[in-house]
Amino acid sequence: MGRNLAALRQILRLSAPAIALLVSVLLTIAPLQIGLLGLIVPMPVLPLIIVFLYAVYDPSGLAPAVTFSIGVIHDLLYGGAIGPWASVYIAIQFLVYSQREYLRGRVFHVIWLAFALALLVAAPLFWLERSMLAERFLSVWPLFSQFGATVLFYPAVAWGFFSLRDRAAAEVPAV
Amino acid sequence: MSFLTMVVIGDNRRRAAAQNERNRFGLVFYFALSVSMVVFSLYGAQASVFQKARATVLDFFEPVLAVFAGPAHWVNARAADAQEFLRLHDELERLRSENQDLRQYQDEVRSLRRQLSYFTDVNETHMPPAAHYIDARVIGESAGPYNRSLVLSAGAKDQVQEGHAVIDESGLLGYVSVVGERAARVVPLTDSTSRIPVVLLSPNGDGAEVAQALLTGRSAGAPVLDVFSRHLEAPVVEGQEIVTSGAGGMMPRGIPIGEISAVRDGKVTVRLDANTTTPNFVRVVDFRFATDLDGAKEGALGGQDGP
Repeated sequence: MGRNLAALRQILRLSAPAIALLVSVLLTIAPLQIGLLGLIVPMPVLPLIIVFLYAVYDPSGLAPAVTFSIGVIHDLLYGGAIGPWASVYIAIQFLVYSQREYLRGRVFHVIWLAFALALLVAAPLFWLERSMLAERFLSVWPLFSQFGATVLFYPAVAWGFFSLRDRAAAEVPAV
Repeated sequence: MSFLTMVVIGDNRRRAAAQNERNRFGLVFYFALSVSMVVFSLYGAQASVFQKARATVLDFFEPVLAVFAGPAHWVNARAADAQEFLRLHDELERLRSENQDLRQYQDEVRSLRRQLSYFTDVNETHMPPAAHYIDARVIGESAGPYNRSLVLSAGAKDQVQEGHAVIDESGLLGYVSVVGERAARVVPLTDSTSRIPVVLLSPNGDGAEVAQALLTGRSAGAPVLDVFSRHLEAPVVEGQEIVTSGAGGMMPRGIPIGEISAVRDGKVTVRLDANTTTPNFVRVVDFRFATDLDGAKEGALGGQDGP
């Protein structure tokens, strides 16, 4: 019984990053639109924060195949073409991996700034893909407002991420 | 530092480097794969395999989305309440004025109904078949920077089909684009991919049709109207109403859409009647042209089963 429970915990711990990313995608699809003065307030793209946080703090947590698969699910739920969100997820993961040595051990504000820069690099990719699919140059403002909202929302998600990580670490018995 | 510790650290570093290399290769591979999927989508986004995949994913996540929808709608309602409270006085004035107008319209409608009934009897007119309505709840809403779509809690098992109009209590909200077994995706009028054939009504309020037009959604801001008729008797003015034209055969003619909100530099923007910001309960209009039906029943849109 105890062994089964331990095995279940181990499975949950290993699949936690994928579950977190999938839940964040489903939350993005939830009908939570705040209207203010007749305009829709841009909602943050939570999966981008989750992909970034795992790439920085737990690089082995999200395998590229998992990130790609959940990105494709996001594209399918989003209803548009398949590929744009998946490619943005992968691009962010790649950017973080390529700068991992620099990011290691940095204070929170530096990592937050790095997230903003990663989105600044990923945004043109997304814009280019969407423009290509629309066969015209789309306005960049909707994209920047939504990515801007994502950057502003980063500390809240990061706080949740660190809290859960600390709790999980406390549950692991010392060897 | 002992020799053994140095060996362990070196081994760990080698393993980390190997893992890093594998990850990097995987990322390049999946990035190339996702970009090639985008390119493939360019030529086949509406291919049946993609549509099937979208419908399957919608159906699979429908129960989870339905669970998430409850709290999300609650938050939306509280946010709307807070905003209503802040503009209570203005809202009261608006309602008073609207009530006066509505009383006047009510008298006109009664008179017109009597006339219509009389002329129908005289001419033995065969009215278009009545539309059938399917009630549904908005359980999902993908609001990306360039596309916006809604997910409904009704699908093929409820007789929802691609192209069906979706309305709320005020007017047209959008149309169905993907149908799963238990869920369906709706493209709202505000989405940049939305194109709806409409009719522009006379500014006199007599219901006369003055021009055919196309309502085009934008990724940001109100939808715009492209008026087809080059020789309009009168210029397009603010406040003119627009309704569906019924062209295409999936939507009934005459569903209210909204009114012209601004005409600037040749660009005509439309204020929609439907609540496209925080929709909750909606109706799918199951409508078929009489030519598609054997022994079509007589009736009219908005009869006993109407909105």
